[in-house]
Amino acid sequence: MTNFIDYFLGGVSTGAIIALMALALVLVWRSTRVVNFAQLGQAMITSFIALTVRDATGSWLLALLVAMASGLVVGVIVYFLVIRAVKRLDTSGAIIATFGVLIALQALAGMVWGGDQKAFPPPISNSGYEVFGRTWPFSPYDLLVVVMLIVLVLAMTIVFTRTSVGLAMRASAFNPEVARLSGVRVSRMLILGWAIAGLVGAVAGVLVAPLSTLSPTSFDLFLVFAFTAAVIGGLDSLVGAVAFGIGTGLVISLVSGYTDSGNAPVVALLLLVLNLLFKPEGVFSHHKARAV
Amino acid sequence: MSKLSSLTERAPGSRLVTHALIALVIFGILTWFNQIVDPLMSYYLATAAMYATAMFGMTILVGLSGQVSLGNGALMAVGGYVFALTSLNWQTVPILGTPWNAVWSMVFAGIGGVVFGLLIGGVAARLRGPYLAGLTLGIAVGVPAIANRFPGLLGGENGLMLQVPYPAGGYASIDDGFDEEFIDEGAGEGFVDDEPIYEELPDEFFEEAPVDDSLEDPLAEEDMLTDDDFLSEDDFLTEDDFATDEGFESDAGSNPDSDPDAVAEEDMLTEDDFLSEDDFLTEDDFATDEGFESDIDPGVEEEFIEDPGTAGDIDLAGVDSGFVIEQWQASVAVAVACIVGFIALNLVRGRQGRVWQAVRDDPVAAAVSGISPSGSKVSAFVVSSLFAALAGAVFAQILSYVGPGAFALGLSLSLLVGIVLGGRNSLIGAMIGAVILVWLPEFVLSLAADRGWEDQVTNNAPNFIYGLLVVLVVLAAPGGLVGGVRDLAKRVTRR
Amino acid sequence: MLRVEGLSVSYGAVQALRDVSLDVPPGRVTAVIGANGAGKSTLMRSLAGLVKPQGGRVLFDDEDITGRKPEDVARMGIALVPEGRSTIPDLTVEENLKLGGMWRSHTQRGTSLTRVYSLFPVLGERRGLGADTLSGGERQQLAIGRALMCGPQVLLLDEPSLGLAPLIVTQILELVSQMAKDSGMAVLLVEQNAATALRVAKTGIVLNLGQIVKSGPAHDIANDEELRHAYLGY
Repeated sequence: MTNFIDYFLGGVSTGAIIALMALALVLVWRSTRVVNFAQLGQAMITSFIALTVRDATGSWLLALLVAMASGLVVGVIVYFLVIRAVKRLDTSGAIIATFGVLIALQALAGMVWGGDQKAFPPPISNSGYEVFGRTWPFSPYDLLVVVMLIVLVLAMTIVFTRTSVGLAMRASAFNPEVARLSGVRVSRMLILGWAIAGLVGAVAGVLVAPLSTLSPTSFDLFLVFAFTAAVIGGLDSLVGAVAFGIGTGLVISLVSGYTDSGNAPVVALLLLVLNLLFKPEGVFSHHKARAV
Repeated sequence: MSKLSSLTERAPGSRLVTHALIALVIFGILTWFNQIVDPLMSYYLATAAMYATAMFGMTILVGLSGQVSLGNGALMAVGGYVFALTSLNWQTVPILGTPWNAVWSMVFAGIGGVVFGLLIGGVAARLRGPYLAGLTLGIAVGVPAIANRFPGLLGGENGLMLQVPYPAGGYASIDDGFDEEFIDEGAGEGFVDDEPIYEELPDEFFEEAPVDDSLEDPLAEEDMLTDDDFLSEDDFLTEDDFATDEGFESDAGSNPDSDPDAVAEEDMLTEDDFLSEDDFLTEDDFATDEGFESDIDPGVEEEFIEDPGTAGDIDLAGVDSGFVIEQWQASVAVAVACIVGFIALNLVRGRQGRVWQAVRDDPVAAAVSGISPSGSKVSAFVVSSLFAALAGAVFAQILSYVGPGAFALGLSLSLLVGIVLGGRNSLIGAMIGAVILVWLPEFVLSLAADRGWEDQVTNNAPNFIYGLLVVLVVLAAPGGLVGGVRDLAKRVTRR
Repeated sequence: MLRVEGLSVSYGAVQALRDVSLDVPPGRVTAVIGANGAGKSTLMRSLAGLVKPQGGRVLFDDEDITGRKPEDVARMGIALVPEGRSTIPDLTVEENLKLGGMWRSHTQRGTSLTRVYSLFPVLGERRGLGADTLSGGERQQLAIGRALMCGPQVLLLDEPSLGLAPLIVTQILELVSQMAKDSGMAVLLVEQNAATALRVAKTGIVLNLGQIVKSGPAHDIANDEELRHAYLGY
């Protein structure tokens, strides 16, 4: 039983990070009906920027803030690169454009920072708490990750449900024409959506970097996990993204613990396939994922 | 091209012939090209042809059928691994009465591709854009990981090495005749039957060679290895050779009774404890060349040692051609590409192509007209999987190797990049894309050499350029190079 | 207040509006009527900025607003209630209302909201519920309410009667007409249901195949039997 608890605890912080990334994907989807596969590339680049800042100044907090700011900026830039295809109603084109951005970002990171694995030191202790004479697989750093997830989710919930801007953003996502007729500057709301998504993704990237190593391709698998979580939850649902993000993290941790860590991608793939077979629109969503 | 279409409008049979002619002409040109250029260009040709084969499938799947899929790298892996596994393990298995050869391996690779294509297509064809892309992304990342899970069967992380089955080689005797060339549909020149390499060892090899008694005792006494030449247990340091704790005194808390300088005799290291020169094998310990005589009739010896890469001239339909391995790989790659291209051309320019596009553009209207949208989507998947698997088999031959690293996500992304840049809806675009994929990294390398770029820049520059170009193409010229040229032509002719 | 001069709109090869000119004066309802496909909705959408005209001008208080974006047109004071159910079911009733007029001051919006709830009490009762729980007539009220939240000087109503029971239609239209008289708002009403429309309107304009065939006092048009038979189907 202790094994189960261990794996469970170990999966919580991973799950929290996956949840954040899934959240970013859902944000973008809700505003523009595009799955931004480049999101992970954006997070990777902002993490590298954070690493550079941290190495230069020694401050993790400053690195995080810079990462968030650059996440905003990069999110907006990618929006402008992709949005034209969306306006042309060229769904394939939009998807292809996001992959193009992903490829370019990975290559850019390789050019600027090199391809080898880099270490990103955590700001606080990453070794497990010692309680009751035992080292648990939950460290102060893991606690920080979970806290940040809670803070971000709360902040976003408040913004979306209690503020005018949030209402405008939601309306722009649900029915841009009616929003326009009500005087909402829809393009600005879309840009804002992408900017916030970029920020959230950047936070996720900075949080995950200390848990392993940082390299241009280290987030590839992560992308699959985040996408899986977002899809299972229903791409429209922020709640679903968070819930299934954490869930996916737990499942991966359990699978890695009980069997072998190499099985994780295969399990994620299996989850994704099962979900897409039976409930492709996700558990919490209203909309259809199936074609005719 | 419109005159050509009007020609072919007359009868579907004539269209088939036209396409076959196109394929044959291209095959001929490329084969001629292959013969006259140096091995490096042959290698590029082989790689480009391999990419083109896979990309013909992408044109159908992503272009005509409108399904953005990243799974084709994984399908190439399936083809490559099936080819490698059958090549390695089934050399003695007869299939339908004929001995195993590379063609059979390709066939099985293709079958593997079709099966996987059905599996994936069955799920994927029901999904819309981003869900489909995400699923295939998962497949692209997950399938190579499966290879890691079975290190025994699939070679794990390091992959599997395989022998390239090619007819020319040092194992072949010059007298060993090749089967009379049979003309393959669309292949044009003779396509030689491959046979397992061991069968090509000359018969003389297996005969008891006459031993020449007049030769002196081949190995001299000094050349023989004796026990002394080998390291034995005594030569190694054991625990006893090291001073023990009891021997050593420490400065603090030492036993005042015993002599602080005393270290027991047994604990001292002597010369014997160390390895000396005698303990190592030297050149003298090995039999020398003069010592060995070959068991084989000297007349055959020469062929045996000959460099397998460059066999002597081989007569192929009376054409004197020296076969270098890269040329052979290119020939195979080009032949496969032309066959696949022929099939693709017929599909794309025929009824099926129109069906695929109709479903892409308006699935409801297509359904009303009696076409099954999901059926057509699955068929696109199956066809592209078949092509990808064959390309994967060719890839395995070019690399002489299959491994998870060769078929990673980057490969799928490259295929996507290729057709987007060349033109999603055009087979010519696929070919242009293949050329770009082969040419650009080399171009970047030469630029880097001139300007002294660092490695990390040169390695990543091609991908960076690809990414930017893809975004640019989607923004400004969604039809890629071919689409852009067509639009330009339309504008010019309108005036 | 709102003046249209020589407006022409084409969708590809099809000409939907041909040289249409009309005035929408304040304080009353102006009705545009005609058979299906006469170009009525196209007219509305052009005025609201959703469709760019190929020719002609739209003047609002003598300012040329032709081709402006819909969000800008709304912010200037022209609010369109489009055809069909233009409410957002994923939002609550109150959220749908608050969507309108975000650029206005807090007090202005508060006043408007109170007014909408008094005009349409049903909305007040269900303010916290999802908009998908409303009936057809209630949703039409919600759509009009949202437009009113923008504090418009010109209200464009596109076929409000579609799918609604005649009694409710009459109720809503009379309400709107009263509002126009009370507040000086200009109302342009587009309707297939000519009879009801002409009852609340001051002026009637008959549109056929994208062109105006007759315009004049609503009463006269309603009584012109020949006209009615030719263009209005009754």
